[in-house]
Amino acid sequence: MKVTLNWLKQYVDFNWSVEEMVERLTMLGLEVEGVQKISGAFDGIVVAQVITRDKHPGADKLSLCRVNDGTGERQIVCGAQNFKAGDKVPLILPGASLPPKPGEKEPFTIKVGKIRGVESHGMLCSHEELLLDPEAIGHKKEDGLLILRENAKVGQPFGEYLGRSGGDVVFDLEITPNRPDLNSVIGIAREIAALTGNPLKLPAVGGACVLASLGEGAARQESRPTAADLVSVRIEDAELCPRYTARVIKGVKIGPSPVWLRDTLEKVGIRSISNVVDVTNYVMLEVGQPLHAFDYHLIAKGSDGKPTIVVRRAAAGEKFKTLDNQERTLTNEMLLIADETKGIALAGVMGGANTEINNQTVDVLVESAYFSPVNIRRTSKLLGLRSESSYRFERGADVGISDWASQRAAQLILETAGGQLAEGIVDVYPTTAKPKQITLHFSKTKDLLGIGISHADQVSFLTKLGLSVVEQQPGECTLSVPTWRVDLKRDVDLIEEVERLHGLEKTPATPPRGAIGTNSYDSRHDQIAEVRRILAGVGLNEAQGQTIISKSEVRNVKEDEIVALANPLSSDMDVLRPSLLPGLIQSLRHNVTRKNYDVALFEVGRVFIKNIGATNEERRVAIALTGNRNSLFWSGEEREAKFDTSDLKGLVEELLEQFGVRGATFTRRPESTGMFLESATIALGGKLPLGELGLLSPLLAKKYDLRDAVLLAELNLDQLIARRNAAKSFKALPQFPSSRRDVAMIVPESVTHEAVLQTVKQTKAANLETVELFDVFRGKHVPEGQKSLAYAFTYRAADKTLTDGEVNSAHAKVVEAFKSQLMASMRE
Amino acid sequence: MAGFLDEIEPLKQTALAELKAAPDIAALEQTKGAWIGPNGRFTALMKQLGTLSKEEKPAAGKLINAAKVELEAALAEHRSELELAAALPKHPTDFTLPGRRRTLGKLHPLTQVTEDIVRAFRKIGFAVADGPEIEDEYHCFDALNTPADHPARDSQDTFYIATKVENVFPSPGGEGRGEGGRSSLLRTHTSSVQIRVMKSQPPPVRIIVPGRVYRRDNADATHNPTFHQIEGLYVDKNVTVGDLKGTVEFVFRELMGSDVKIRFRPHYFSYTEPSYEIDFTNALVKKMGKDWLEIAGCGMVHPQVFETVGYDPAVWTGWAFGFGIERIAMLRYGINDIRLFYENDVRFLKQF
Repeated sequence: MKVTLNWLKQYVDFNWSVEEMVERLTMLGLEVEGVQKISGAFDGIVVAQVITRDKHPGADKLSLCRVNDGTGERQIVCGAQNFKAGDKVPLILPGASLPPKPGEKEPFTIKVGKIRGVESHGMLCSHEELLLDPEAIGHKKEDGLLILRENAKVGQPFGEYLGRSGGDVVFDLEITPNRPDLNSVIGIAREIAALTGNPLKLPAVGGACVLASLGEGAARQESRPTAADLVSVRIEDAELCPRYTARVIKGVKIGPSPVWLRDTLEKVGIRSISNVVDVTNYVMLEVGQPLHAFDYHLIAKGSDGKPTIVVRRAAAGEKFKTLDNQERTLTNEMLLIADETKGIALAGVMGGANTEINNQTVDVLVESAYFSPVNIRRTSKLLGLRSESSYRFERGADVGISDWASQRAAQLILETAGGQLAEGIVDVYPTTAKPKQITLHFSKTKDLLGIGISHADQVSFLTKLGLSVVEQQPGECTLSVPTWRVDLKRDVDLIEEVERLHGLEKTPATPPRGAIGTNSYDSRHDQIAEVRRILAGVGLNEAQGQTIISKSEVRNVKEDEIVALANPLSSDMDVLRPSLLPGLIQSLRHNVTRKNYDVALFEVGRVFIKNIGATNEERRVAIALTGNRNSLFWSGEEREAKFDTSDLKGLVEELLEQFGVRGATFTRRPESTGMFLESATIALGGKLPLGELGLLSPLLAKKYDLRDAVLLAELNLDQLIARRNAAKSFKALPQFPSSRRDVAMIVPESVTHEAVLQTVKQTKAANLETVELFDVFRGKHVPEGQKSLAYAFTYRAADKTLTDGEVNSAHAKVVEAFKSQLMASMRE
Repeated sequence: MAGFLDEIEPLKQTALAELKAAPDIAALEQTKGAWIGPNGRFTALMKQLGTLSKEEKPAAGKLINAAKVELEAALAEHRSELELAAALPKHPTDFTLPGRRRTLGKLHPLTQVTEDIVRAFRKIGFAVADGPEIEDEYHCFDALNTPADHPARDSQDTFYIATKVENVFPSPGGEGRGEGGRSSLLRTHTSSVQIRVMKSQPPPVRIIVPGRVYRRDNADATHNPTFHQIEGLYVDKNVTVGDLKGTVEFVFRELMGSDVKIRFRPHYFSYTEPSYEIDFTNALVKKMGKDWLEIAGCGMVHPQVFETVGYDPAVWTGWAFGFGIERIAMLRYGINDIRLFYENDVRFLKQF
């Protein structure tokens, strides 16, 4: 909502600087989003009256004058000859500039200066200096000063004297949706009035006499037809249209608006169209009531011979051309203003092209009505058509203002377009809205704000905002809410108003206190944080990916498990991620294409999976590696080593161990998948799926500009949390020495490390403490299709030192099992 | 006799000189053998002692032993010197060379800021709560006093889920993209969790809810369809606006420094009454050439919301506030483009 300083000042007296104004409005809840200063024509030039004119003591051709500038006297040296004491003349004040002449780069700025030894505080102006043609503005053309009319008001800005727009300040305010009453200049003025305590001055529209005096004179008043003679109104759906009023003005002359009207509208961003249309817009901005003007003669007559307004629902599929010349197809939910034959306006949203004011219009029907906010909002939304009118109606207009706004519009139409007002109004208002009443217990204010405000002050703040006291008792007060305050519904709403006018800064802050919070999620938050710390600790950087990704990026999830958006912004972002991996691959690409070739990332986040008519959210943790394993170093064999599957596996193992998840198994997938060249599933207890890890298919890597091997892992974090055992307990340090036995053996490729461990386990070898793999070798002396594995076995008893014989006999069982079960041949 | 005694001192001096002159351990061992080894010259001297008279023996023995001790001390000292010299690398180490690093990974700046916020709230007794990101219209809007026809509820801002889902909670007059006027959406704010928590536990409630939220905005320097919010909710007896102000001041001073000043402005949210926007200022804000920066929204929980979740508004009052985590992170680190948070450029991530 844009509003200008001068417009506001028509309704309330206040004297704030622009900065103060911004501060006060902001603290009232009207956030100022922009301030635009408009410089007026002839800024700093005022109407002044010459009090005395004497000769300059040091120059024959100059005069020394005393002039009244409206605020006081000042001394001026002047070279003109055509004036005398008592004349009214334009005075330019020090600091102001003359209008720049064509070709002049810098305007001439007046300063206080000495002329022939005498100070001059300003300059009296000629018509040439002001670049004015005196005759064009109804003044005598003569050499010397521009002599103004005798009735000119001393001190008046010169621009205003000429009828030109003066300087002004436009404030762009953010109006919250609960306060439709502030979408009007008077609404804002009311807030200022409440804050300053100065009265709100509403334009006088009341009574026929005011209107008649503006019309064609009292003499013809008796012969004036009444509105009811000229128009009928029939509301067919009073739920959607609780009130409809019509006024008729006959004999208007459609033309351009006067300067003041055009200027006012243009300053707040409304295009001037014609006097009558501009008046409806002006009154809407002034008081917040949207109005519509119809060409009276284009409304079809009903059976009673009068043009008839019918407020009805549109027929399903009914076509209607709004005045933006768009043909709209309506539904039965939409409210139409019609005559007996056709629709003439889309109620509360936009008028129709068929009855709009045009240059031939002589008689005007002014509609001022109230429509159901919900209905207007739905219509506007369905048609994708928003207007200043629908904006106000959907937030809630003031059902009590219809008649006043209509009178105000009639008054201004008569003033700007002439014509004669039909007497009275047709006001169909089947159920008069009862003003809401709210009871405020004064103590509740203290309970909520934590600060005591006197009962008298509380009532006073509320009455300043237009509420009226219905009944006051000790400790409480019942107030009646004016119809424009649709937001006030219960006591807390009143308390907010009390606090606003009392001043939010006066509500003191009190130190935090109170109950200790509990929530079942609280500890889970820490467990998730722990996963993050573990992974950052092993050198991975944390990523955060987009939740909404492109379906075309998803490769490791079945199509019917993907959760799609109903209204995506684009096909680049049309589904919710079912996995963190597509996002991490994108992040790798982002880095590698910017020459960050060595990237190690992890992400903790939610994924979304569709599962038979339901959507599931699951937390995951994922890892992505590419490029060099080690950070840059200047020496050594390993420095160029790239990340490989063992790096990834090591990270996953470290995460599982540090987080306290034991017994994860890794099972190689026999085939490549769309995503992985080689991969394994991760499970707990061999059954419960935990996730997957693998090497990204080189075809995909190429597609994403990734040059080195890409390793990816993803685990179900909810399961990790559910299955972890973070309990820690102390085991006594060993008291007796251990014995080590190494085994080096050649086994078929198909024998996995897991199989070796299982074999060892089955032997139940006595006193076996650990089994560690320390070498895997293929090549010289190892036949094709086989591999050499070397393990270290550590034997230790808790209560004695083992003899060689004891160790040997236990170890022999293990070696025997390798030979018989794994087809292993021992290397010596 | 005099001749024998007189021999000892020069011999010792020669031995000392030779020991000290040994250029390496091998030469040193050789020299040692030549003097105090089994066949060394001092060993030979000892053997000659027997040829001396009874009176001469003690003085001579003492003298020889003293010399031997001195030689052994010199030997040990020089051996240490030579061992150290031998252990030194061939080239002197350049300690200005960069070391071999085992780098720690970094937590994402949004994680770090979230953890700082969580820590600040936990200091004053808040627990962390959570809720689903795929929400229904009821929890996201209706229960928060924002009925379907409410102007504050604009579908332009909301992502809806295409899947038809059986929601338990109907939203009368909602977008109705699902069956029976029900539909799933991506939560537009963390406030939906307020409702879920209040419906599942009795007051008092003291929670914070960090999490992802979604708005249907095209990505630009200040918008991303995905972003993070944190919500605070406190419900108890006798909770006032003063408590709200006090908590907000405490948290923002923890986060942004002790010079932070807070200003409340009247505002509107459908689920709080009164509602406020919170501006803050500190040296940083002044440096940006501004008086105040908008940072959060808040208010006293609307009695209608209490009624909806089954709390008695005559007994319980409370406040809620929420703010954007990206905004805090951008202010704190001077980040000028929100999209940087989601690109995961390692040059960005490593800075925090």
